[in-house]
Amino acid sequence: MPAAPTGVPLPGSFSPDRISGRWLRFSNLRGVRWRINLRIFPSSSSASIDEIRRVAANARRSYASLRRQLLIDPHAPKDGNRSPDLAMDNPLSQNPESTWGRFFRNAELEKAVDQDLSRLYPQDDHYFHTYACQAMLRRILLVWCIRHPECGYRQGMHELLAPLIYVLHVDLNYLSQVRGLHEKYFNDEFDRSDCEVVSNRTLKKVKSWDCGSKFTNFVDDLDPDTRDVLLLSDPYGAEGELGIVLSEKFMEHDAYCMFDGLMNGADGVVAMNQFFYTIPSIGSSTGVPPVIEASSAIYHLLSIVDASLHSHLVELGVEPQYFALRWLRVLFGREFSLIDLLVIWDEMFLSLNDSCAANDEYEYRIMCSPRGAFILAMAVSMLLHVRSSLLATENATSCLKRLLNYPKKVSVEKIIEKARSCQILALEANMLGSSQTGLMMNSSSAVSRTGSQSPKSPIRIMPDSYWEEKWRVLHREKVIQDGDLNNGGKGSGLFETLRTEPYPSPSKNINKKKEAHSIAKHSLFDDLSQNVESVSDEVRSISTCQGSPSLDENVRNCFSEFMGEECPSAENFSVLTINTGPNNEGNDPEIESEKSSLTSNSFIRENEDDNGNIDEECNKAYDPVSKKLESCANVESGQHLDAEMKVVTEAKVRKSASSRFQWLWRIGNGSFHERKMEKGIIAGTQQPSIIGNEDVGHEKYVSSSSDYSWHGDSAKVEDGDKRMWGTLKKLGQSVLENVQVIESVLQQEPGKDGDILGGDGQSAAMAALKDLRKISIILSEM
Amino acid sequence: MVLVLALGDLHIPHRAPDLPAKFMSMLVPGKIQHILCTGNLCIKEIYDYLKGLCPDLHVTRGEYDEDVHYPETKTLTIGQFKLGLCHGHQVIPWGDLDSLAMLQRQLDVDILVTGHTHQFKAYKHEGGVVINPGSATGAFSSITYDVNPSFVLMDIDGLRVVVYVYELVDGEVKVDKIDFKKTAAPQPAP
Repeated sequence: MPAAPTGVPLPGSFSPDRISGRWLRFSNLRGVRWRINLRIFPSSSSASIDEIRRVAANARRSYASLRRQLLIDPHAPKDGNRSPDLAMDNPLSQNPESTWGRFFRNAELEKAVDQDLSRLYPQDDHYFHTYACQAMLRRILLVWCIRHPECGYRQGMHELLAPLIYVLHVDLNYLSQVRGLHEKYFNDEFDRSDCEVVSNRTLKKVKSWDCGSKFTNFVDDLDPDTRDVLLLSDPYGAEGELGIVLSEKFMEHDAYCMFDGLMNGADGVVAMNQFFYTIPSIGSSTGVPPVIEASSAIYHLLSIVDASLHSHLVELGVEPQYFALRWLRVLFGREFSLIDLLVIWDEMFLSLNDSCAANDEYEYRIMCSPRGAFILAMAVSMLLHVRSSLLATENATSCLKRLLNYPKKVSVEKIIEKARSCQILALEANMLGSSQTGLMMNSSSAVSRTGSQSPKSPIRIMPDSYWEEKWRVLHREKVIQDGDLNNGGKGSGLFETLRTEPYPSPSKNINKKKEAHSIAKHSLFDDLSQNVESVSDEVRSISTCQGSPSLDENVRNCFSEFMGEECPSAENFSVLTINTGPNNEGNDPEIESEKSSLTSNSFIRENEDDNGNIDEECNKAYDPVSKKLESCANVESGQHLDAEMKVVTEAKVRKSASSRFQWLWRIGNGSFHERKMEKGIIAGTQQPSIIGNEDVGHEKYVSSSSDYSWHGDSAKVEDGDKRMWGTLKKLGQSVLENVQVIESVLQQEPGKDGDILGGDGQSAAMAALKDLRKISIILSEM
Repeated sequence: MVLVLALGDLHIPHRAPDLPAKFMSMLVPGKIQHILCTGNLCIKEIYDYLKGLCPDLHVTRGEYDEDVHYPETKTLTIGQFKLGLCHGHQVIPWGDLDSLAMLQRQLDVDILVTGHTHQFKAYKHEGGVVINPGSATGAFSSITYDVNPSFVLMDIDGLRVVVYVYELVDGEVKVDKIDFKKTAAPQPAP
């Protein structure tokens, strides 16, 4: 048997037992575990090895007989006594029943299968393109398709089958590994002629053969995993050789069983063969083919989780089935590498396939089972992963381009994590869907919800989006303090003095409730910061990080301290200033003064003038950084810069910025400066542009927030909370812009020379990321 | 698993208007890999029709063929078998087995396909096979009475060839099967 693709770690090294503390049986043997999950093997945890062997043997027998029956050779003589009826059995016979007719039909099927097989996994071709493997795949697919003529062969089935064969192959490799390690246990001593029994262990083994009892404690001294492997491959166990579960000889049979189980769904909800139908399934509520239905279920789930992205995609006219068809039909086989795919399928098969819908009132059948919900959640999580680049595009083509060429280097674990939480949401949504007038989960949110909603919300009570959920949790705590906070004083603290102001929410679903606004942002940015983290990791991996990670760490630490309300001390702040001191070569003296005013400010929660000052300065400061970064990153594209220029309108507004943001700007500016110094690539040119862009950015910032009344110079008139409100909004926008910057930077990478992008893009992206991180930390503390 | 169709002596349009309908319905493109036509098609349209059935078409010249550029004899190798094709009016006496055997030795083939007599014949002779597919349209022949439309389909599989004979008798298609096995001939040392 040819070796597995090089560079593939064997399963033992990454047996993914992510559900902490739960020992998964056969965690090293994917093939066995998947068969348990697919309900081919008995799934009770107490199923003995013997039962498993028997089931395996039966399955193999049935496949062998099927194969004999269906893969016909017209030359082979039929039952000897009956001479063939030549009128029917000649090659040119029109009779569909004739063996020749079936032979020709199978030949057509085989042609279609071969066409696909030759294109299977071209990058791993030293396993998948060996003659033996291809022949196996061909036979399995032929037998299955002949058995299921209503479905026939569709492109994609081979890609579902290939990983199944691969895991069986990997299991065999693992077996040989174990065999190498524990040779003495695998010795075949059945036919020993010498009467001496060397060890106690052998004595027990011999006893088990002779009395045929299930005497398995001859392997007591092994760890359970190895013991399982030994018993699964024991040629003298139940069913003899046919029962050896990890067997190369019967790989084809086992793979057929797994494939069959996967396609039929084993009486569960998700049956893959349905995804290949083009006619609506019987009993479907929507009357469209199942895969289209599942695609719209993806969008449905997306609208629950992230309505803004959903509405954006719907606006652009991106129908879900354009990309989801491929995702669903091969269960993401085309989007991820084989190794990652195995991890995803591990998770997918762990979710059970039983329907949890008690009644028939569900909108999407696929959501009824945990496995179906996981598939949908995985798709949604993949969409969220590329969220910023999707939101940044303005036409459907580039959206689809992004989705159909899914980024290669993704962290699968993170996507799976997110998918898990979405899965829970999906299952809940499906549950709630049937109860119309049931208890509203969060009445306050339903009342106050304004922003982009899922289109179905009027009919059903939906669990709110991910971020809103978090907001609501925090909001409940704050509701109590409503009365106190309404007295318009700043005394209690910056964020507590926030007042709500109705204004159209930005791309995020931010509720317009009062105090909660910052909290909402906070929760939003929590997640966004996580996103930022992942993006930043990616950027880091792509580009050599020449930034100052240590500085970043310091900054972040100090930030968190700074923001911590428990210990607001000038001391902390001075620590911070010390940190940023060496980086502030280019700072204006103006900022120095603001910094000092900062110290007297935020934690002490004093006068709103200063708050206003600093807040506004911060805003102004923060945004220029982001704008500047954008402009740096988009020097090649030049689009953003133009866009910004166009919106430059009003005069600078100098008031109402929170102290924290000013400090943030300083940090960002400083670190950015330092980065530039280090790299020395953009040094000279950027300096003036920074200052220049300050105004640009600021003005843009202002104009973008011109929706709501901006009290401009009369900072003292309006409460600082209003400004806070505004700044938070700006923050949100700038975060989004930063993320877009990064996304565009990353997107440009493949197309350009490494050099061009290296300096500008990298630094821009890094800076943007760091700023994002800072903001997120700020808000997390708020 | 190679299917080879052998037919000839259609004499279209002079003695027959067309192939019998039942034969036409059976001969669909895609199943047959080679066609050996003994000759006397006679016009180009029949040649095109046969070419549409299978692109690998071999024709030898019959005395009434309108295209004068067909060869007198043809040999080709399919699988383990060497096949020879000739119309047969050149071999006198017409239809005589020994003379045909002489031609077979001359061409050095395992299977010789000839026509002209409009009568189906299949002989096993001296380690080789001589096949006459008859007339596919049942055209009139001066040397044969009661001509039935017939043609031959050979299924060549390794060292074994199965010959299916399709004959239109009283409006019904009758199928017959003959098995021939070639003894593995020793390759002469150069």
